[in-house]
Amino acid sequence: MIDLIAALLMAVAAVTSIVFTYLAVVEKNLIQAVVFSAVQSTMYALIYFLLMAPDIVLVYLPVGVGIYPAIILLLIKKTDKVDE
Amino acid sequence: MSELIIPYLLTVVFVSFVINLVIALYGIFARPTLVKKIIALTIFSDSLNSLAIFVGYRVVSGRVPAPPVVVNYTSPQGPAQLAKVTVDPLPQALVLTAIVIGLAVTLFMVKVTMQVHRIYGTTSVRKLERIEHGNKGEEDEGVVE
Repeated sequence: MIDLIAALLMAVAAVTSIVFTYLAVVEKNLIQAVVFSAVQSTMYALIYFLLMAPDIVLVYLPVGVGIYPAIILLLIKKTDKVDE
Repeated sequence: MSELIIPYLLTVVFVSFVINLVIALYGIFARPTLVKKIIALTIFSDSLNSLAIFVGYRVVSGRVPAPPVVVNYTSPQGPAQLAKVTVDPLPQALVLTAIVIGLAVTLFMVKVTMQVHRIYGTTSVRKLERIEHGNKGEEDEGVVE
């Protein structure tokens, strides 16, 4: 039963990550695109936890949700705000 | 019943990773702004890492497999027990390295994009191409004169 719930959560997180990947790619406003990318990273971290890789979660969560959006927001602040 | 549903759900996860790969490739090739290309490239590398971890996953009947980092395998029977109850630890070790290397590569690309914006005043590859063609045209005229 518990493995069924884990697989179900994994599938829901994977389908949600498709939605946020699509939104991050087509979004014109780059700041919103970075936020969508961070949400997609959160979904991936949940999938890693359910795939029994807690050490990956400990590395990926600060990198994917913390450092990537931070440096890309710095880049957006110094360059263009809008995708054409 | 769960023997039928769990492979289906895991297939959904696998196909989602592949679809994410395709969308990220579209973002890398079709969107003009370099910042958007960097965002799509991080999504691309994360999807590839997820596929590597997914390959190492193993279904243990009736329960969830244990994570390899919490199993004590220092006893003589340790490796056999590790292989019986946990997922494959090798892809996880590789992906841990790949995430850190990807962070370094992304920082390098961010710095290069900042320099491009400082020199040319734009991060759109279409405008950059126009600027590059304009410069080449002037140089050719100069050679003719």
